[in-house]
Amino acid sequence: MRDSAAKDLLRGFLGTLVAVALYSVAGAGAPALLIVFNAFSVIVLYFSIRRGEVFGALFGTMCGLVQDTFSLGIFGVAGLTKTLLGFWTGFISRRIDVGPFTRKALFMLVMSVLEMALWVLITAVVRLESVNLHGGLIFLQPLVTAVLGSSLFAAERRIKARSSRGS
Amino acid sequence: MSFWDNRRSALVLVGLTLFHVLLISVQVPLGPGKSLFEKAIFFVFSPVQRAVTGTVRGIGSLWKGYFDLRGVRAENEKLKRQVFFLNQDVRFLEDRLSFAHSEAELRASLTEFEGSLVVARVIGIDSTNPHQAVVIDKGSLDGITRDMAVCDRTGALVGRTIAPVSLKESMVQLVTDKDSSVSVQSVTAGLVGSMTGQSKDVCDLRYVLASSPVGSEGEELRTTGFDKIYPVGIRVGVIQSVGKDAASPIFRSIVVKPYFDFASLDVVAVLTKGPGGGA
Repeated sequence: MRDSAAKDLLRGFLGTLVAVALYSVAGAGAPALLIVFNAFSVIVLYFSIRRGEVFGALFGTMCGLVQDTFSLGIFGVAGLTKTLLGFWTGFISRRIDVGPFTRKALFMLVMSVLEMALWVLITAVVRLESVNLHGGLIFLQPLVTAVLGSSLFAAERRIKARSSRGS
Repeated sequence: MSFWDNRRSALVLVGLTLFHVLLISVQVPLGPGKSLFEKAIFFVFSPVQRAVTGTVRGIGSLWKGYFDLRGVRAENEKLKRQVFFLNQDVRFLEDRLSFAHSEAELRASLTEFEGSLVVARVIGIDSTNPHQAVVIDKGSLDGITRDMAVCDRTGALVGRTIAPVSLKESMVQLVTDKDSSVSVQSVTAGLVGSMTGQSKDVCDLRYVLASSPVGSEGEELRTTGFDKIYPVGIRVGVIQSVGKDAASPIFRSIVVKPYFDFASLDVVAVLTKGPGGGA
């Protein structure tokens, strides 16, 4: 039990490092890319579907707080939205079939849209002002997240299939 | 089955949600100040950002270096560095000359900037809105503290250093951030106001009375130094449009286009002896 918790903690930390690395690569490549690409959301969705709601919630907390640290927004807002994203993604994915690529993509799209709506709502309430939507470009973020998230699973499946054929 | 096993998921969710609500509640009255918790996370993860950005840049420059002539490239880098410092010197000299009233004042203000430039690389961009903040690869070990002015390659104002300042990394609030405010003056009409960001690529010039002289489009704005953060005379941007403020008829509505180019913001200069943190 303690061994598995320590492994999960390590997995969570390494996952967060991967998210920070992806976000840094995107920022170094093209700053405008960060408006449509949220590496933290992609990683939280991926791990939540794989590991379930408890891991998803804790991992969402970790990733969200790191995202908040690298932003001038209110500390804790992304933490809260990512926690809820991780929990509900893990919870729902255990109760419905999200196996096929398109179904998984659609499920991730719905969850990303809900996360963004919650983030906009909380930011508006806490800061008492409207959120900068970058001319509507920000609405592409859930779509990009869903496509990248489901592509991760597709790539993983293909690699596994290839390695099992090879052995 | 114990109570914990039955309701583990729900308890974790409730606990984490309460934790975040508490965190947000603490942060709101704290304003722009950073909690110890946030500083600790920055301390742990900013070196990762630094390493990744350095690797990406390293791979990029290796690729270029492979195709370019090595000697020419090295010389070019050296010249670029010299040009950077010369540009900064020229800008400061120009700015000082235009603002100084006497030779004594000029000498005093020039000595103020001797050895005060720290060159830094941009290693990260705000994760929520790119127009709010950047992370640079210089920190407290390089003499960086809060409230130091930051300029781009051409000497135009980019923003100021804010908390958290780590050992080798620090955060810079851009002038385009909506919580940023810089006291500026237009060069020709002499309009004095506060330039605040919109978290977009343009800013507002606020608190310019409708009765004051009409500023023209394309007129340059420079810092006044009234805010005790930015040194006097740094170029900030140009007036893009002037109109009536519908919300408050006693003020003008002025839109400013900052000089610094966000897309090519890779190297910056931190003024460590300004009136802000370095004072």
